[in-house]
Amino acid sequence: MPFDQAFALSSVLLATTAFSGLVLAKSVPLWLALPTTIILIISLLQARGGFSVRRAMAQITVSPALWNVLLIGAFVLFLVDLTVISRDLLPAGIHFLVVLMSIKVVTLQQRRDYQHLYAISLMSILASAALTTDAWYVPIFLLYLLTAVWTLLLYHLTQETGKGSVVVRPASTAPCHTTFPSRITHRFFWLTNGTAVMTIALTLTIFFLIPRIGAGMLQKTSGETLRTTGFSERVDLGTIGSVKQDPQIVMRVELPDQPAVEKDRLYLRGLAYDQYNGRSWSHSETRRRSLTFVGEGRIFLARPTGSRSADSLSVPIRQDILLETLDTAVLFAAPFAEHVSGEFLTLQTDAMGGLYLPFPPSSRIRYSVTSQVPRLAQDERTASILAYPDSIRSHYLQVPVGSQQVADLAHRVTQEATTPFGRTLAIQQHLLENYRYSLEADTGTLSHPLEEFLFTRKTGYCEHYATAMVVMLRTVGIPARLVTGFLATEWNEYGGYFTVRQRDAHAWVEVYFPHSGWVIMDPTPTVNTLVATNRWESIRRLGESVRLQWDRLFVRYSAKDQLAVVHGVREGSDALRERVSRWGSLISAPIDQIFSRLTHVARTFQPGMVELATGVSVIGLALLLLMLRDRIGLWATTHLPTSHPQLAIVQLYARMVRTVERHGVGKPPSATASEFAKLVEREWKAAGPMVADVTALYHQGRYSRTPLTAGELSRAAEQVGRLQSLIHLAR
Amino acid sequence: MHLLISLRTAPAFSFVRGLSRRRSIRLTSEGTKFLLFTFGIGLAAINTGNNLFYLLLAMMLSLIVISGLLSEHCLRRLEFRRHVPDLIIANEPTTLTLSVANRNRHLPSFSLRLFDVVEGQDVDRGLAIHLLPAQSSVLLSYPLLATKRGWIRLEATRAQTLFPFGLFLKKGRYPTEAHLLVSPPIKPLTVRFVDELVGEGQGESLPRRGDGTQLYNLRLYRSGDDSRAIHWMTTARTSQLIVRETEAEDQRRIIVVLSIVAPEECESLFERSVTFVASLLSQLADRAYPVRLIVGTEDSGLGSGSAHLLVMLRLLALCERQSPEAGGIARHGERIPLTHEGERGYTVAIVPWLDQAASTNTVQADRVLHAAQLEELTHAF
Repeated sequence: MPFDQAFALSSVLLATTAFSGLVLAKSVPLWLALPTTIILIISLLQARGGFSVRRAMAQITVSPALWNVLLIGAFVLFLVDLTVISRDLLPAGIHFLVVLMSIKVVTLQQRRDYQHLYAISLMSILASAALTTDAWYVPIFLLYLLTAVWTLLLYHLTQETGKGSVVVRPASTAPCHTTFPSRITHRFFWLTNGTAVMTIALTLTIFFLIPRIGAGMLQKTSGETLRTTGFSERVDLGTIGSVKQDPQIVMRVELPDQPAVEKDRLYLRGLAYDQYNGRSWSHSETRRRSLTFVGEGRIFLARPTGSRSADSLSVPIRQDILLETLDTAVLFAAPFAEHVSGEFLTLQTDAMGGLYLPFPPSSRIRYSVTSQVPRLAQDERTASILAYPDSIRSHYLQVPVGSQQVADLAHRVTQEATTPFGRTLAIQQHLLENYRYSLEADTGTLSHPLEEFLFTRKTGYCEHYATAMVVMLRTVGIPARLVTGFLATEWNEYGGYFTVRQRDAHAWVEVYFPHSGWVIMDPTPTVNTLVATNRWESIRRLGESVRLQWDRLFVRYSAKDQLAVVHGVREGSDALRERVSRWGSLISAPIDQIFSRLTHVARTFQPGMVELATGVSVIGLALLLLMLRDRIGLWATTHLPTSHPQLAIVQLYARMVRTVERHGVGKPPSATASEFAKLVEREWKAAGPMVADVTALYHQGRYSRTPLTAGELSRAAEQVGRLQSLIHLAR
Repeated sequence: MHLLISLRTAPAFSFVRGLSRRRSIRLTSEGTKFLLFTFGIGLAAINTGNNLFYLLLAMMLSLIVISGLLSEHCLRRLEFRRHVPDLIIANEPTTLTLSVANRNRHLPSFSLRLFDVVEGQDVDRGLAIHLLPAQSSVLLSYPLLATKRGWIRLEATRAQTLFPFGLFLKKGRYPTEAHLLVSPPIKPLTVRFVDELVGEGQGESLPRRGDGTQLYNLRLYRSGDDSRAIHWMTTARTSQLIVRETEAEDQRRIIVVLSIVAPEECESLFERSVTFVASLLSQLADRAYPVRLIVGTEDSGLGSGSAHLLVMLRLLALCERQSPEAGGIARHGERIPLTHEGERGYTVAIVPWLDQAASTNTVQADRVLHAAQLEELTHAF
């Protein structure tokens, strides 16, 4: 491809990449995106060299005055957009940028126009960086960087070759070398791509090293928040159903301390509810308390009241959670959170262990939680009577008015059970076996949704099951409460985390046991959701993992991470040093031992023996070096990098001359190399062929246009080596 | 202060100073805009704390760094060798050659523009190399037109490149010092004047063999002699082949003396006189006259041919005007140091300025060209 054509193509590609960034950031409306896309495609085709497109474009001539009018029109549109339509500088500015880009792409004539287009594209990629944190920015950024390197390089080279007409073409011995090829050669293609790869590597290095001193004065929130249901102070029965088919990701949960197995499901607790009025759940106590710090490093102690402290029954589980921007201030964690740490200044909790931020986060947040998952004590499994504290009885045995029918059902289901735990299991089993899971059961408008679920429809989803179980347990005197949150089941084996989506929203039951505390029970049958296990599913999970890494390494990279990297490097180097010194001491210890024993023996027999041995060794080493100096020099000439192959053959020739002189055949100053070779042939017949060969190679390397190959160079070295051996033999 | 001085003489400091002398970087207009954008993005990154802005900032910075590295690579391991003639003539274009070799093992050098460094300034000769592959060399030649006689000192060669992105202009200085001697320009003189001068000098010709009609000598015939030159009468008389040698008619010696004493206001006339002498010498050399030039205390000796002309032109290229205030030494320089009789000849003295007080016994010559005559002869120069 000719240089000019490649330059035009890369310039339009640069603009197209920047425009794609804006489109993917959903900041360009369709009415603007469509014509701009068409203009860019036509420009690309024109730059690519489509003959028909070129001919068609050549027929369209628009005067500069009209373009100026268009520019003024675009500016007026921007003002209208700013004041009337968008009423915000960023979207209005982006629309203006896109219009400018379209105009510039069409009117690319002078170099100044190209510069303007680059500035517009840079502003566009900057704007898309401001509008998104998604992982699609990675390929767009890389593509932008690649095209930027091509464009800048071609911009410079086309400028240089344009000047070619005024420079004096050098009267070169090889003129083709000094002038630039007019087309993109294979070599140039790889050179430019290599430069781009180097730039990318350097960009990443600088990105990770550049000090983060962000003041955040003009920080803008990244906009869209996910709407969630089921985490407000009052939850109507049936509200979760609306999000049960929404695949949007809510959070990602890593379990750093857990083994890879046993990761089939994880309950992520949001809020618990204790009051049910027959249609909706609510809290009896809305008071929240702020959590206090424990230890160093801003760790909040989050043990809920009424829960037990960690003992042998509970299992600790640590989670690192990346929560998307939600419209709720609730933080989610596996039950029950003990310690919470994250980038927030305060944290609150309610009476039932729900965790709250002071206000809904404006962007993704990352936090770590250590939870203690309770287990039921063996004695409480078999105890026929459990003594519940009054505070529990007063809160968690409330049932709505007029639920006699439900109570009858509960008593009927549990009549054969003799223990509270047995009754709990019986109710759970009844619900699991006799009701069908369906998301189509919309009970939001019914006056008695629970009764409708239990006795009429007998189909429902988690909320119905959990509500039914809580009410039934309470009617038989077992304290219970409803919990909303998420049930994570989608394990990403590439990233090592659970992906939690809106559709994973779930409700379950917590049953109180005086000794064990609140124990999770889930009456909702396992839904055999269609989990695709084909290739695409695994690719999707891989993409998901890449997105998480992108978020962690780039979007959320902070000064704290930089510090962690520094600490990591320091600790790594310390460990390495320690290991090396250990190996060193392991190796040197026996040597030291042998040496000291030898020294001791030597000193015992002869006091000056050690000094003598050292002296002899040094002298021996020096003699060895002296004897091998020719070999070492020969090796160095051929193996060590020299500035030019000419130099190597010249050095070899000089070595050969010195060697021959040692035999008594000196090179007269007036003799040429060939004459000297003939002289050697006369005076020292055995060395003649070697000298002749080296001389021929010397002529070739020094005076011919074809440089010596590595093989020829080593042949010359070999001949000089043989010559040296001949000398030694002669001696 | 002492510490500062010791620091300045420290090897590291001199290394840095040497490095800064060898390399210099200047921003282009595109580079300035690029830096402004980088600065703007950096500001936005700091203000917002947005990591994607930091990523873009890193991209801009890495482009700057890559630009610096590649341009450095273009200028590193370049070898320059200059080839200049011994003497050039002012106002006559001369070709100089510069050989450039790229000693890089793998990567070529791009977009090189080359300059001569003369008196600390870069002089553009219009030399450009768009591509110089690794391990290859190129020979560039360019015209040079010197306008003044004397030495031209080509201090070094400067190579500059805008590669790869045109953001920075990086310059490298390479020691290729060369001294170029410029002789005065050669101007055409009127044929009448030269003929007249030669005619006047007829009497000063020394008898020497050559083409002519007058008898110079008779001698025994030697193999290869022209048989027409046999002097038959003497041959008959002596019974030996005797040939006749003739005396060369046009072989006469001319000594040109240039007075270098002149006040500052006569600078122009002095320079024209030097040009006149150079032109005269050139004409005489063309006619194969043995010529001797005396400039101040400098003496070229008697000789002929182009090699001798170069010697004389070299004297003229380097001669400097001496002001009359310089005194006796200068006056002494006016005296013609004729060393031995054999080198006597027709003497032409060129005196651009004459001291009225000492006019009687300064220059003794067969023909003296004073300021007025010189003005007339050189007014067209």
